[in-house]
Amino acid sequence: MFASSWLILLFPLLGFIGLSWYGSRISRNLVGLLGSGAVGASFFMTLVTLSNLMFLPPEERVGQVQTLYQWVSAGSFELNLAILIDPLSVFMFLIVTGVGFVIHIYSIGYMHDDPEYSRFFAYLNLFIFSMLVLVAAADFFFLIVGWALVGLASYLLIGFWREKPSAVLAARKAFVMNVIGDVGMVIAALVIFEHFGTLNFIDVFAAAPDKFRPNDDAMLLITLLLLVGAFAKSAQLPMHTWLPDAMEGPTPVSALIHAATMVTAGVYLVARCHVLYELAPVTMYLIAGVGGITAIFAGSMALVQNDIKRVIAYSTMSQLGYMFLAMGIGVYSLGMFHLMTHAFFKALLFMAAGSVIHSLDGEQDLRNMGGLKKVMPLTHATFLIGALALAGFPLTSGFFSKEAIILSSYHAEMGNIVFWAIAVLTAGMTAFYIFRVYFYTFSGELRSPDAHPHESPMIMVTPLLVLSTLALLGGFLGPWVDSFLGPVFGHIAEHPHDNALESIALLAGIGGIATAALLYMVSKERLALFKEAMAPVYDLLLHKYYVDEIYDYLIVRPTKAIGLFLEQKAERDGVDYVVDQVGLQVREVSHVISLWQSGKVRTYALNMIVGVVTILLFVVFM
Amino acid sequence: MLEIATVFDFAHDSVIFIVGMTAVLASLGVVLCSSPIYCALYLIGHMICLALLFLLYNAEFLAVVQIIVYAGAVMILFMFIIALLGGKKEIQENSFHRAMALTFVFTLLGELYLSATVGQTEPIKGDIPPELFGTAKAIGLELFSKHIVAFELASCLLLVAAVGVICLAKFSFAPLRRRVR
Amino acid sequence: MGQEFVLLISASVFCVGTAGFIIRKNPLIMFMSVELMLNSVNFLLVTYSSFLNSLDGQIFALFIMTVAAAEVVVGLAIILTIFRTRQDMDVDHIDVLKG
Repeated sequence: MFASSWLILLFPLLGFIGLSWYGSRISRNLVGLLGSGAVGASFFMTLVTLSNLMFLPPEERVGQVQTLYQWVSAGSFELNLAILIDPLSVFMFLIVTGVGFVIHIYSIGYMHDDPEYSRFFAYLNLFIFSMLVLVAAADFFFLIVGWALVGLASYLLIGFWREKPSAVLAARKAFVMNVIGDVGMVIAALVIFEHFGTLNFIDVFAAAPDKFRPNDDAMLLITLLLLVGAFAKSAQLPMHTWLPDAMEGPTPVSALIHAATMVTAGVYLVARCHVLYELAPVTMYLIAGVGGITAIFAGSMALVQNDIKRVIAYSTMSQLGYMFLAMGIGVYSLGMFHLMTHAFFKALLFMAAGSVIHSLDGEQDLRNMGGLKKVMPLTHATFLIGALALAGFPLTSGFFSKEAIILSSYHAEMGNIVFWAIAVLTAGMTAFYIFRVYFYTFSGELRSPDAHPHESPMIMVTPLLVLSTLALLGGFLGPWVDSFLGPVFGHIAEHPHDNALESIALLAGIGGIATAALLYMVSKERLALFKEAMAPVYDLLLHKYYVDEIYDYLIVRPTKAIGLFLEQKAERDGVDYVVDQVGLQVREVSHVISLWQSGKVRTYALNMIVGVVTILLFVVFM
Repeated sequence: MLEIATVFDFAHDSVIFIVGMTAVLASLGVVLCSSPIYCALYLIGHMICLALLFLLYNAEFLAVVQIIVYAGAVMILFMFIIALLGGKKEIQENSFHRAMALTFVFTLLGELYLSATVGQTEPIKGDIPPELFGTAKAIGLELFSKHIVAFELASCLLLVAAVGVICLAKFSFAPLRRRVR
Repeated sequence: MGQEFVLLISASVFCVGTAGFIIRKNPLIMFMSVELMLNSVNFLLVTYSSFLNSLDGQIFALFIMTVAAAEVVVGLAIILTIFRTRQDMDVDHIDVLKG
């Protein structure tokens, strides 16, 4: 029934292979068509799979494993090339291929003048394929394969403009951070195999509740190691530094990878392994705590950044914090719901920002923008919708998902008032910073006189319109998401309506918008005064809490010093010497031996006779 | 008094002894003569001695083959080559190489003899009637019944050798060398 | 004459041939030495075939002769070709294959 689901993975793979082999030889239009078409076909197959799944009764929807063939069978260990079809994976398929498809179309316009057009689309298809492998994996092995492939694709795409040193550095940073996470994942998989004897999701999750009591050491170890991977991929504290730098990549990449899909892999991992995490409540609290702290930490940094993409990047971190908070307090389907709405409005914001950057010829500094409302009406409208959704304005998609998480952070079994306070405070900040960007960009007068902004071409605007529709109305999918994911997570307990809490959360968002409007629209003098008063805090925030500098002093520099020492002493005088000596001695000895090979037939014959005599000596006298 | 049979046996044995020693001496001559033409002549002598020995050991057919193939065809080839290349004497040096070679060769001789005589062996006895043994008829029967495949393969081998020699002799290798350089 | 005599003759001729192959520098004479070695073995095969009253040895000797004839023909052709290209008959000078 789900055998055709393999096609979901096949199309982007074929697209990647085809474009990387023939991409430079076919026309640009065809490249764009193939690249987008592959993902579009994949999206179509996802819809087919979804409809197949919906025909099944809910209790049969989980655990549909499609095995292509058995790859390894060693004793009790089995490794199959298999995908797992259940509501969670299909949900992720929908987001990855759907949002991915829209962003591919957008890229046709955005990257139109790039000389390496086909390479870009090949990488994008590779990314989609990798992400689908990650999401479709039926065991930890292929999860790690997808995890690493996604890291690779991200590295390639961040460093796509390879002539830009900052892009290459950012790509390297992202890759190193991600590999730290990969190591955690691999060790986690090994520990799982040691305890369960299998890597298969279904077997592990079925065996876990009988095998372990809550907070067993092994369970804590496994969940924490998995969490290293999840935090690295999803840019949670303290491994968040790569995400803002990753904005060096082209904007569609930021929208696709660093907002909508890849960074949510960590959330997906926790959701997929929720059986394990429920056996480790301590880890759950850690997730909720880190998620909350990341949310407020990243939100505060976003308040003062001047690069339009960086603000949105920090906002992504902050929203991911929300998702982890939801995971940590056990309302998984709400986390996944927020993942979905966030994918809509964050991709929308990034692409709208990309449209702005595109029309200003690469200008990313907020302070040089302004007044674009008149020249770019469609971009303006879609950005506004995205901003409202992000800020949680009533009846937009962000409102439903965020509000639900905020309320759950108090009402849920593991929630408490601290989580709630953090969430509400972050909601206020979110509304403030995104409208700060909005007012900077679209209202007032253009602050760089020599720019000639223009509305983007239709191929870029149409995806914006599609996504803005989703961002506006996606919130009404909430009940459906809850019931669809129900077979995987179980349903969330209804909690009592609490008007006070609800209205405070609502007011936080609207208050943030109002403050931004007050400071950036109405009165510039008040803004200056405000900046004056808050100078130390402003400085701290602008330098991102000096985390990069702290890492530099604590980790990078000592490592460099040790490396220098090792290079000069251990490497040159130790290892190199030994290696050189091995080579030299072998050369000496072989020089001596090579004298035997004189090329003289008679000498060879004599040697042969010596050998025969020796052998006969043994035969006769032994 | 010596009986006729004993006398015949003694004469037979002494002929074998004399011919055998001649074969060894002739082989020594092949190795020790400095001029290729004498070497070739000694080798012909050796071949003829071997043919005689074959006769004495009841292998008439092989004796004739030995004469025709070896003493005839092969040695004639040798002679032609010597005539073509000129029978230059070679200068022998009394070197370390020589001493080594002789030492090992004598050790080999001792070892060969010891390994052939020391130890038990269990020979297989054949059942060829004595009046037929060694004749062309017996060999032919054996060759074309039991060893027909090997026989045909040997003919192929000879054919390949003939073609190979024609290739070697006919085509000039000078252009090849110039091209490789 | 018994088996020991035959063995002795054969071993002697074989060793003389070996010595000749190692000592002599003229490729023609080295070839003749090889013929000596082959002949000594042939001799052994034929005599033992007589001792054991079995024709296998003689058949074997026959094949050896065939192979030896083919070998001599090809070998002499090679020697001829080498001489034509190098104008030199000393095997010690033909050492282009050394390492």
